[in-house]
Amino acid sequence: MRKLLLLALLIAVPATAQLPGLRRRDAPPPAPVQNSIEVLRADFSAQSGGTIVYFAPGSAQLSAQARTLLSAQATWLRQHPEVAVRMEGHGDPTDTRDHALALGAERAVQARDYLILLGLPSAQVSAMTWGKERPGPPSAVTTIQLSGGPALVPAAG
Amino acid sequence: MKVIRAGYFALLVIAFAGGSANAAQPGTPAATVIAIPPMTTPDAGNKGNEMLALAWQATKLIQMDLGQTSELMPLEPNRKDYYSYPEVTAPSFPKWRDRGAKALVTGFVQSRSDGRLTIGCYVYDVDKGRELGRIGFVAVPGDLRRAAHKCSGLAYKSITGSPGMFDTRIAYVAETGALGARVKRIAVMDSDGHDHSYVTQGGTSVLTPRLSPKAHRLAYVSLEGGVPQVRIIDLDSGRQQSLLQGQAMSFAPRYSPDGTKIVFSMMLGANSDIYVVGESGGMPRRLTTSPGIDTDPCFSPDGNRIVFESDRSGTQQLYVMDADGSNERRISFSTAAYSAPEWSPDGKLIAFTWRFGDTRRIGIMNPDGTGEKILTDGPADEEPSWAASSRELVFQRTDSAGRPSIYRLSLEGGPATKMTIPQDGSDPNWSGTMD
Repeated sequence: MRKLLLLALLIAVPATAQLPGLRRRDAPPPAPVQNSIEVLRADFSAQSGGTIVYFAPGSAQLSAQARTLLSAQATWLRQHPEVAVRMEGHGDPTDTRDHALALGAERAVQARDYLILLGLPSAQVSAMTWGKERPGPPSAVTTIQLSGGPALVPAAG
Repeated sequence: MKVIRAGYFALLVIAFAGGSANAAQPGTPAATVIAIPPMTTPDAGNKGNEMLALAWQATKLIQMDLGQTSELMPLEPNRKDYYSYPEVTAPSFPKWRDRGAKALVTGFVQSRSDGRLTIGCYVYDVDKGRELGRIGFVAVPGDLRRAAHKCSGLAYKSITGSPGMFDTRIAYVAETGALGARVKRIAVMDSDGHDHSYVTQGGTSVLTPRLSPKAHRLAYVSLEGGVPQVRIIDLDSGRQQSLLQGQAMSFAPRYSPDGTKIVFSMMLGANSDIYVVGESGGMPRRLTTSPGIDTDPCFSPDGNRIVFESDRSGTQQLYVMDADGSNERRISFSTAAYSAPEWSPDGKLIAFTWRFGDTRRIGIMNPDGTGEKILTDGPADEEPSWAASSRELVFQRTDSAGRPSIYRLSLEGGPATKMTIPQDGSDPNWSGTMD
């Protein structure tokens, strides 16, 4: 049942979307699911002020702006405990492969840990890395993308 | 999938000659001229002709192998220089001396009743008129190429003192599909491009294949589920497994020189450190504890030390430590970033990716950090890996359109040459000599 539901969500998500993929953890009735997840994504992005957390090149330090954005995301996520998110770390495209992988992981973990520090349960937030395999925006800065739980492919890539 | 036909490839009874002294002094700038007259056969009749055709193939392969090196200059094999079977071990030295050759390769191909071949070759010092070494094999006809590569390796080692890189393999990441959404598979081929095969499917993104010293196994990183994890493939059986239990992010694996251990990076929380573990798994032992990103570890060929990169100083720099993690010291000091180090098989040099701004180039330095040399112009060169000879490197070069290819570069100079592979390729890794 859950597999079918997730599949429907996948089809509904445009490949180029920059919105977070979201998953209802204890979704009650599967009535208008597609709408619901898209509405949730849009609402999350609008209420938190964005889904992309930028870092300085080569750095995994959270800037003041990054903290503001993550705090807003935490507020929204506290109101939607049924939604799980995944922080996707990206390295710098001009970095070497393994350092980019580690840096992406470090960024994702820093962002995740900040959300947990703000009181979110760790089960609601996971972290992963793309290294320089799926570069984010072409600027030199780096993105943390939010997406659905582990069963859902990332919304943007 | 059977990638390596090691099983059929047995060393024959022809004993190695006692002394394999060096004919020329290693490091002499001029190339040593080596004669490779067409190899012969003891067989007669139709069988003889068949064997002579194979012997000619082997001769041309040896010429091609040695012609790729900067230390040896083979004379073009000429069918007029055909010799008889007894002359394999009693060649005419004055003839080759007159033509300026310093070294000579002779050999034969003989049919066996079981359908396999006996292949033997001999290397001589022409000036002194004495044998430098001999090697022989029993092989299926399909392994004639490998036997010829082994003969080339014997000639190269007899003359330069360094092991050759002729019977080695190269692993890399084969890339297809649109940029930004590439399908990546691990591919393995002989270093001359033959016997190319894919050892992973395209469904999961894969990175950094690293061959075991004799190229029987391969460690790589799978990004399945977004969690990088080291996996091991047995190339002979095709069997695969994860190196570690659990969900920690692990990456940047490399074999120890004896092939029994893997040194790699693992993330604990937001911190990447270097660990070592037996190839079949078990409890990893932590070797570094710095708060920065420590990664890309690589053993020295004697297994006593490990070179790695760390950004603990603010930029990526190279460090060397003892194999137990003690005695860490930084060896690169400049405003550029240094990463992805690989220790040369002879222990004398460390190759690395040099990064300044958006430019990436390939460089080398001594293990104490002296003698730094940048070898390529970039702008996007990375992931150097040594040939078994320690005189050549392969590396990844990305063109202006963002497409990566694999290039080969000689330390003796000259431009890097692009290797012919069926599609784009990244993360090349060159094995030691196979057995």
